[in-house]
Amino acid sequence: MSEHSGRHATPGRLVAITITLLILLSPFLWLLQMSFKSNDQILQFPPPLIFTPTLENYISLWHSAFSASFVNSLLSASLSTALALLFGIPAAYALSRWAGRGKHGLSFAILVTRMAPPIAFTIPFFLFYRWIGLLDTITGLVLVYTSFNLPLVIWMMQPFFDTVPISLEEAALVDGARTRTVFTKIVLPMVTPGIAATAILCFLYAWNDFFFALILTRTNARTAPVAVVNFMNYEGWEWGKIAAGGSLVMAPVLIFSLAVRRYLVSGLTAGAVKG
Amino acid sequence: MKQGGIDEERRRFIAFALTPSLIVLFAVAVLPAIYLVVTSLTPFQLTAPGSATDFSAPLRNYGLLPGDPRFVNSLVVQAKLSFWGVLFQVLLGMLLALLLNVQSRFVEFARTFFLIPMVLPPIVVAVIWKLIYTPDISPLYYAAQALHFTMPALTSSVDFALTAIIIADTWEWLPFTFLMVLAALQTIPDEYSEAALVDGANRLQIFWYVTLPFITPILVISGMFRLIDSVKAFPLIFLLTSGGPGTVTEVTNYYAYLLAFDTNEIGYSSAVTVVMLLLVAGISLGLVWMGRRREAMA
Repeated sequence: MSEHSGRHATPGRLVAITITLLILLSPFLWLLQMSFKSNDQILQFPPPLIFTPTLENYISLWHSAFSASFVNSLLSASLSTALALLFGIPAAYALSRWAGRGKHGLSFAILVTRMAPPIAFTIPFFLFYRWIGLLDTITGLVLVYTSFNLPLVIWMMQPFFDTVPISLEEAALVDGARTRTVFTKIVLPMVTPGIAATAILCFLYAWNDFFFALILTRTNARTAPVAVVNFMNYEGWEWGKIAAGGSLVMAPVLIFSLAVRRYLVSGLTAGAVKG
Repeated sequence: MKQGGIDEERRRFIAFALTPSLIVLFAVAVLPAIYLVVTSLTPFQLTAPGSATDFSAPLRNYGLLPGDPRFVNSLVVQAKLSFWGVLFQVLLGMLLALLLNVQSRFVEFARTFFLIPMVLPPIVVAVIWKLIYTPDISPLYYAAQALHFTMPALTSSVDFALTAIIIADTWEWLPFTFLMVLAALQTIPDEYSEAALVDGANRLQIFWYVTLPFITPILVISGMFRLIDSVKAFPLIFLLTSGGPGTVTEVTNYYAYLLAFDTNEIGYSSAVTVVMLLLVAGISLGLVWMGRRREAMA
């Protein structure tokens, strides 16, 4: 693994890397520091770089409708993740073990369902939800997020099942075990790390969504990303709250991304085809 | 006989495991796509009763498209945004990957932080750039003021608005190309560049003749992913410019959104979306086909 063509790190290069990182992250850090400033401090010129941090923005968010939208985000992201795993894991296993023709065609077709730009789904979903009364409900959001995460689960879990030796399963089958038992008792425990990584990525995709929530919710099921933007429209550009809200929305993302950084590439690549 | 029984049971289990997902995907992906095409054949407006089932002039919406200057303009805007965005993301991603392709525990740890812009919720990225582009509170404008230099208002200027979007989009997605190129760089065996060094090649020559040919496929693939994905800049456009000034930053995706959810022209918006889908699908298939040809030739 370590035998790659990387050069050895020279001090000059380490300095260059650090400076690049600071420049790249400075917009993000600016938002973060702003969330701990009072509105007066935010508007001061020159901006105080050293200041007494205040939690007033976060406290006022806690007491506002924002906390309800945060709960909505948590609910819709976790429920849709659970559903996508429930449907997707057996499907990924089936695709991994299916020796028949058309296997690659089918897994590609499954991925293509994520390729279309979200607007292509929002128009039909909006009309359908309006008709059956699912607009502005958590159920409606869960349904749409599940449909977007299902291809991701199938696409990500398949390689994990591929690594489980088929001889192991055959041995158990010859001993008289049922396929279902082999799947739940032998195969699933071996791919637990994959399930965890996939679950986190599904959660993040649902959590990060802005477009579907913008169109399919109003007030009852409004999610945190939409709530942050609403601070810009109706409450007179309260930058402190916007910064604190933005920081809260990105907090779970940063924590989870660190946890699954090994799997980020496959997850994001599968997602990248989504469009 | 027993073997056959096992195979039969396995086959049944596989079918049983696959079916629910296929049904769900059919219901939530194929049916909506069909419904989208059906609505695109009607003059459907939410405020006009009966318009949803009026198929008297099915191709009317599609006939209107070539003569709609906003639609044509939106394609041009998307092409500009995609072209410059993909170009910058691939180039800068490659440079960053070359810079970080070193053996060091510190750098391996630091790499994760370079990924932050890409994993942030897109709307938070948009909020961040809203801060940067809003004169009263922006560090960019503070710096300009300190240097006695007048910064133009970027997002409301006809000349700079699209550039402002491209910069933000590049910041957000540069980590993606970086990650892909870095992975490719790490598969190049040391012997290649060592052999070139022994032969007296300088660093630029090693890059040009050894490294670049090695990473070209991944540059193409990551550029492809970003190209297909570049219609996703919606949150940035929504928050930073709302398609303006005028229609300078109004991409097709955003135009379709305005038509459906601002002016209630569901039928016409569906037609715009169908054309956009066909274009994205066409580009994707073209790229896949090109990839296959390259593989076949190599």
